[in-house]
Amino acid sequence: MRLLATTLVAIALLAGCRGKERQGAFAAPRKSPAPAATRVGSSPADGGTLYRRLFGEPGSLNAVLQTDVPEQLVLQYLSRNLFDFDDRLALVPGLAERFETSPDGLSFTVHLRPEAVWEDGVPVTPSDAVFTIRKIADPGTSSPLYKSFFEDLVSVEEAGPHAFRARFRRVDAYRAMAFALPLLPARRFQGVAFDRAPDNRAPLSNGPYRLTSWKAQESITLERNLRYWGPRGYFDRIVFRVVPENAVAYRALVQGDLDESWIDAPLKQRAAEDPAFSQCCRVVEFYDLDYNYIALNARLPFFADPRARRAVTMLLDREGIARHLFQGSARVISGPWAPESPAYDSSVEPLPFDPKGAAALLEDLGWRDTNGDGIRDRDGREFDFELLVSAGNTIGRQIDETFAAALARVGVRARVRPLEWASFVERVDSGAFEAASLASSASDPNPDPYPYWDSSQWPPRGLNSGFYRNPEADRLMEQARGERQEDRRIAIYHRLHRIFRDDAPAVFVVNATKKYGLRRRLQGVETSPLGLFGIWPGPLGWWALEAPAGVRP
Amino acid sequence: MIRYTLQRLALAVPTLLGIVILVFLLLHLAPGSPVTALGAESGRRVSARAAEEMRRLYGLDRPLPERFATWLVRVGRLDLGESFVDHRPVATRILEALPYTLLLNGLALLLTLGIAIPLGVAAGGHPEGSLDRVSGVVLFALYSLPSFWAALLLQTLFSVRLRWLPLYGVASDGTPSGWAGLSDRLEHLALPVVCLTYGSLAFFARLVRSGVAEARQHDFVLAARARGASPRRALWAHAFRNALLPLITLLGLMLPGLLSGSVIIERIFAWPGVGRLFFDSILARDYPVVLALSLLGAVATLVLTLTADLAYALADPRVRDGTEPR
Repeated sequence: MRLLATTLVAIALLAGCRGKERQGAFAAPRKSPAPAATRVGSSPADGGTLYRRLFGEPGSLNAVLQTDVPEQLVLQYLSRNLFDFDDRLALVPGLAERFETSPDGLSFTVHLRPEAVWEDGVPVTPSDAVFTIRKIADPGTSSPLYKSFFEDLVSVEEAGPHAFRARFRRVDAYRAMAFALPLLPARRFQGVAFDRAPDNRAPLSNGPYRLTSWKAQESITLERNLRYWGPRGYFDRIVFRVVPENAVAYRALVQGDLDESWIDAPLKQRAAEDPAFSQCCRVVEFYDLDYNYIALNARLPFFADPRARRAVTMLLDREGIARHLFQGSARVISGPWAPESPAYDSSVEPLPFDPKGAAALLEDLGWRDTNGDGIRDRDGREFDFELLVSAGNTIGRQIDETFAAALARVGVRARVRPLEWASFVERVDSGAFEAASLASSASDPNPDPYPYWDSSQWPPRGLNSGFYRNPEADRLMEQARGERQEDRRIAIYHRLHRIFRDDAPAVFVVNATKKYGLRRRLQGVETSPLGLFGIWPGPLGWWALEAPAGVRP
Repeated sequence: MIRYTLQRLALAVPTLLGIVILVFLLLHLAPGSPVTALGAESGRRVSARAAEEMRRLYGLDRPLPERFATWLVRVGRLDLGESFVDHRPVATRILEALPYTLLLNGLALLLTLGIAIPLGVAAGGHPEGSLDRVSGVVLFALYSLPSFWAALLLQTLFSVRLRWLPLYGVASDGTPSGWAGLSDRLEHLALPVVCLTYGSLAFFARLVRSGVAEARQHDFVLAARARGASPRRALWAHAFRNALLPLITLLGLMLPGLLSGSVIIERIFAWPGVGRLFFDSILARDYPVVLALSLLGAVATLVLTLTADLAYALADPRVRDGTEPR
């Protein structure tokens, strides 16, 4: 079969990003509201130890079984992906050097680097890739992070000494992102139960570092992998410390026990007023792909009509939220993407903050206070709903309280109810909620709205938890998935964006900045719409200034 | 006596079973599941199909009675199962965390008793004296300090400002061996031990104080003084010894608490103990770990209560005859 050769430039385009702007791995950071990371100092220095923070302990260092952020942070040093996203969200080679797509767009042939080896010197082979992908697709394996990428896998097999081919059931414009994928050494899992293999605690590395110790609930230490085949990292050693509490991590940062820590808006405020912080540390702040929204359940009489959903959106002063709750470090959004995403059409203005217009809309829809109790009603039902929020989500809670107060002023009652995470997700994912404050969090730049807004994805089949349906939007989403030409696909998303703004399937609130505190000695830090860590080289490009004599770095 | 022991044992079995059933039901009927607990940090959601497969893998698609029976049979074979989170044996995870919690809580308890007993005896020796009044106020104030607040304050003072003590953790990165290593570990223990101690001080000191204050009015203390015992000896050997009994009973009931750890202190000081394991396991709906830890707590409490019952019976024939209720 004649394969259509795809160059790396095409990979970048496929990634759905502004690939043209790509200036290499160390391109200048994107525009940020505050001075973002810049490279200081003459040239990167080798050596030293980098102290990084984990919120919680990784469950497993088996790349297939990983579930959340702690695993990803550690595995980034140990387990190269076939391809990675760079700071411009373009796919760049990792364990693999290139891939080709078949003319029908269903088959992908991935070519591994011949020089890639595991830490014991054994080459990384196509059979490792085949084993890994089959494990992910296996219904007997729990792989929450990668499962969805391979749900319509038809087959995967070796295709020569350094290549493998995967075939899928349907065309997906963002399929290549499935290969931002780490591999497992197949031979180490022969004859052992996959989820209990010794390698899950002591993985074999094919990355720049190797695991040297893992103290449960305490720390994970990595050292250079001397057999690594790519450019080496700058630090000799990486120590991950498990520090669950934010306030303690902040102190650890100031004291020099950690080199980096995520901070929230209150801690940023505190850092700005703390001379001890400014002496040793700085704040890095940037916009990423995450955004906040309030999901509305369209099955309820309140939110069935797009006009009612528009009305409640117009009742929330989102500019005020960006200004006051986020101290200006947030932007109002008008659709289900962050402005950094190419799918976002910045010409689609958000609905205005207009309580009078909203009240008029509600009147038109027949929501009037007929019984004089201060709450609007229609057909004997009060406009009174429960607004869920995850208990740990402080900012979501504040948004909800603001929203509830604004609704109360026009005679609509929202009862804010915090729920612990697992219970909250259960309610939201099953569609058994009335309204819920959510944060969309991106692990890759895939902007495909289909899993969240297509009417085929209603619970329990998918994640369209608010039961949104618009036949025109459904058609466009389906069309975009099959559209392999990027500019045409983006044009479809821009049309969809307008529909989402007018339909208001949810109250799209803001895209806020991510903030990290970093020790000043830390250099080479690049920001990206995927954050500091989800990119290549990301933390692998960090290095430390040597401390002047007598000063603790 | 044998009959009495058998009776108590026979009662312990249904009690244990009752506790286990209750915990099992509470845990499984609570909203949320190991699948919906995923993504707590990133906020990412699992696709419907992946969620379905995970439910099947964890056996959550089976009826509740079947799940309970399976678990009970395994526990009967002394197999606590595997953690849903890291797929390691539950016993391994608990045994990893237990020494840290025992060390921390054991030291805190020793320190508490070491301060509370002399203080309580001294205060009880002169009720309404200046020491009694001052210690009462100070202890009450300490008792009222929330531990998370005190912990953060102590960290700021001793770790960030003065740099005398480490901020958190069990030992420094690259701990030296020998005496230096021991002192490093003790430095790491200092703040969490203080935080666990100051709150319970009031409790124990006031208990000892009231026991001693009451006992010193008895005739036997006066008789001891009349026989020529020094005031100190009368207080310690006679009054305090009699006030010791309720203290021992209380200690017996508090011992199972040594196993369970403190969630707040262990989180703030990043201490890898049982409290954190328990808390994280509940949030992650790691049913096997939560069940095992609950079982452990229940067994420890039952064993100690049983021991106390038998000790009373040994000491008092009326208890074992059932002729007079205690």
